[in-house]
Amino acid sequence: MRNVAIIGVGYTPVFVSKRKDVNIVEMISESVGAALNNTGLTPDDIQAVTYGNMQTFEGVNLPHLWTSDHMRALNKPTIRISTGGTTGMSTLQAAYYYVASGMYDLVMAVTWEKQSEGDSQVGLSGIVVPEAMTMVQHGMDLFSGKGMGFGGGGSTGAASYQAMSYLHHSGASPEHIDKMAALERSNAALNPYAHLRKKTTVEDVQATPMVAFPLRFGHTCPTSDGATTAIVASEEMVNKLTDGNVAWIVGLGSATSDPCTANFLEGQITDPAEQMPAKIASEKAYKMAGIEDPGRELDMCEMYNGFAHQSLMWLEKLGVCKEGEAHKMLDAGALNIEGEMPTNASGGVFSTNAIGASAMNRPTECALQIMRKIEGGHQIPKKIKKALSHGWGGMFQYVTVMVLADEPVSS
Amino acid sequence: MAFEMGPETRQVQGMWDISTYRYRMEGGGVRLLTEAMKEKRIKGVRCNECGMVYVPGPTYCRKCFVDIDEVVEVEDRGTVMSYCVELADVRGNPRETPLISAMIELDGADSWFVGAVVGIEPEEASVGMRVKAVWAENPVGSLSDIEYFEVLEE
Amino acid sequence: MRKVAIVGQAQVNASDVGKSRERMLFDLCKGFYDGMGITRHDIDTFVLCSNDFAAGHTISNVFEDCPVGAYMKDETKVEADGVMAVTYALARIMSGLYDTALVVGNSQGGSVMRPYLVMDYTMSPTYDRQLGLLNELSSAALQARAYLDAYGLGDEVLDRIAARNLRNAAKNPDAFNGKADATPESVAGSDKLYEPLKQDHCFPFTDGACVLLLAGEEKAKELTDKPVWIRGVGDSLDSYYPERNLARSKSVKLAGERAFKMAGMNDPAGELDLVEVSAKFASQEPIICEGLGLFAEGSASDVAVRGLAEIDGAMPVSPSGGALGAYPLCAGGVTRVAECYKQLTGSAGDLQVADARTALAHGQDGLYLQHNAVMVVSTEEG
Repeated sequence: MRNVAIIGVGYTPVFVSKRKDVNIVEMISESVGAALNNTGLTPDDIQAVTYGNMQTFEGVNLPHLWTSDHMRALNKPTIRISTGGTTGMSTLQAAYYYVASGMYDLVMAVTWEKQSEGDSQVGLSGIVVPEAMTMVQHGMDLFSGKGMGFGGGGSTGAASYQAMSYLHHSGASPEHIDKMAALERSNAALNPYAHLRKKTTVEDVQATPMVAFPLRFGHTCPTSDGATTAIVASEEMVNKLTDGNVAWIVGLGSATSDPCTANFLEGQITDPAEQMPAKIASEKAYKMAGIEDPGRELDMCEMYNGFAHQSLMWLEKLGVCKEGEAHKMLDAGALNIEGEMPTNASGGVFSTNAIGASAMNRPTECALQIMRKIEGGHQIPKKIKKALSHGWGGMFQYVTVMVLADEPVSS
Repeated sequence: MAFEMGPETRQVQGMWDISTYRYRMEGGGVRLLTEAMKEKRIKGVRCNECGMVYVPGPTYCRKCFVDIDEVVEVEDRGTVMSYCVELADVRGNPRETPLISAMIELDGADSWFVGAVVGIEPEEASVGMRVKAVWAENPVGSLSDIEYFEVLEE
Repeated sequence: MRKVAIVGQAQVNASDVGKSRERMLFDLCKGFYDGMGITRHDIDTFVLCSNDFAAGHTISNVFEDCPVGAYMKDETKVEADGVMAVTYALARIMSGLYDTALVVGNSQGGSVMRPYLVMDYTMSPTYDRQLGLLNELSSAALQARAYLDAYGLGDEVLDRIAARNLRNAAKNPDAFNGKADATPESVAGSDKLYEPLKQDHCFPFTDGACVLLLAGEEKAKELTDKPVWIRGVGDSLDSYYPERNLARSKSVKLAGERAFKMAGMNDPAGELDLVEVSAKFASQEPIICEGLGLFAEGSASDVAVRGLAEIDGAMPVSPSGGALGAYPLCAGGVTRVAECYKQLTGSAGDLQVADARTALAHGQDGLYLQHNAVMVVSTEEG
């Protein structure tokens, strides 16, 4: 197996709710340009491109076709990956496999979303339009909430079922969600590439309106504009092009279950808080990385948390701690930037959500933490040897996992 | 005066028109269910290999990957597996009273579906509580024949 | 580099398959597993290939995972032509992390939506979609005219190309748009669309799905006596803007060169026994074949007259009937690879190219052949 590393990352200068000053192609090229600048590479050095976003969010099909002219990727092999919320990491994983296979040595993974140019609720409801309409044909009332069918509230409604089930099984309280939210928003305040950057207290979170109990407005992610590009290289290229300060991809996995909050037509059999794919994908990644005790061997975690309860949930589902332990780690301060298991030092998806890039920003954050190239005030003080990143998407069903390390696993 | 290029953006419309699609959906499971509901009964489909009972019934088992068609009747009472309290409807319009929207596993079924639990305050709700369907007086074979669920004292 | 082979294929194509997308996929995959004597648990990774706009579903794979057998399995989705999905599955196996990969492409452009509309969504949202002048047909017609004019060819060459494909498609049980008695005259008499294109020059609106099973060397030999080895892949993305010579395709040329290099081929035209190309319009076929270096530039008329692209010709082109026989959008590229597999395993029936050992499959995305991907497959391990 070939060793593969992330050698550089490029973000758009900011992640905000509306980038009025640039259009889609300009925004993407900002991040491509940053990645090339940060690695000292030229477009000619890049052998292939992997590309991902959630196209229905902007209502544009196969946007790589008309954006590539502007992202210095013409006449290159280009593959488009799209898997919902996990798109960012799925795109990075494609770059990994391109290099690990021996087909290429230097691949650029480009991910983005410009949510201000589309309608996220249209995009999200588009997941289940025909399923829901079939139920409506059979008498389901979308608005009253009564009768059989599905509840309202869009993705927050569905996430609330997950949050409640998680609280019930873990023994955590709604206050733990508030606390996690405050912690991550405060981390985001230190991160120049975060969207919602305000030091936040538990009281601030609790003052936000309830959306669908147990989730408040202060527990939900924003919609952001932004793009992230990562450059992935073989060991040979690492030796040739870098000073060795890179982040090695030492384990990865992806898994799916079923659309567990949307199987109206065919019977929903999966608890949205069960998340078996997280276990399947992470066990595979740990095995590949030679990790036997993730809680002890990992130095940090970056979770995909569209909603604030999820960071806690994922720590358990990904085997970082036992079931029901994550909120105790939170209470003990272990999840703080200075703690034993810093979790979402970046502020997480919960603070910044340019969807196509969201699952990419998890491993790129880990990579920059390992390389100690974090801009802003959220560099984790201890040395990071192994970091866990995670993506989540589909209709609550996809999980991607990537373990990054300061050295390749087989050296 | 010469035209000067400056920083200027404008927005233009683009539409993804979902109404142009003519989706073909599996409707057998929902029809089986709604026809049973006309008689205030609930029916689903069981997988012969793993025993899983799905309501509404699919045409194949996701776990065993085999066709399934054994019709089974399940109870109109069950257990709340999770719930949330909705303060707004799908369009974001505030509800006059909060709605307890629950994921319910009916006795005899292994799948969950969503229904409203009425007659208790949100703070009285809990995972694991038992509920029973309240039927419309004159069911017509519609998913709305179950008007809501009420807490079952057992 | 690790050797990877295709070990099985199955496909379904119809103008209206009469089933939901989910049931179409379940029936196809279930039948495929049963036929191969395997179960869904034998698949290490699923690479789906579909498109949100073609499906009319955001995250089109959400409801596709379970009917292909991916419940609680490793899965990802390529949103591009099917040859790219097969390429990605190849990379996954070559990495050494998987032994088997199932590629599943599908779309329901026959019954659920109108494929030309999907191409409308594919155009630049701030310019071409606003102008509303361009669509898939008009762009194909512009390119057809550019090709014919560049080499001083008459429109009838397109009729000859289409007639050959439609006649071949009639003998392909996996195609549905075949016309056994198609002639250049019957094609010329079909409905006029955008000059010079007529109805019979164009791909049919198709409900379809195609599965391919790929396996690493050892596993492949376990699963079949007739593995078809993937020897080379290549793709290239051209400029979106049509201010280039539309009569030729640099993207096809680069994609071909990359694949031939990987396959170690010095004389592709001499070494290939057939090609399966995704010519969605008859006019694209010569541009693709010439880009691959199989025929001289501008030679379409000569190729047609001399029958070079016929099944018994010097370089059989799309003996399956190609995209004119069935074209389920992104699954189209998977289908082309599957048709090569049929040829190389001697299971192409009446369309069998004698002694076929090495073949090339081609897929494309975008207007004017913007993105092209090719794959060289062979009975020889290499």
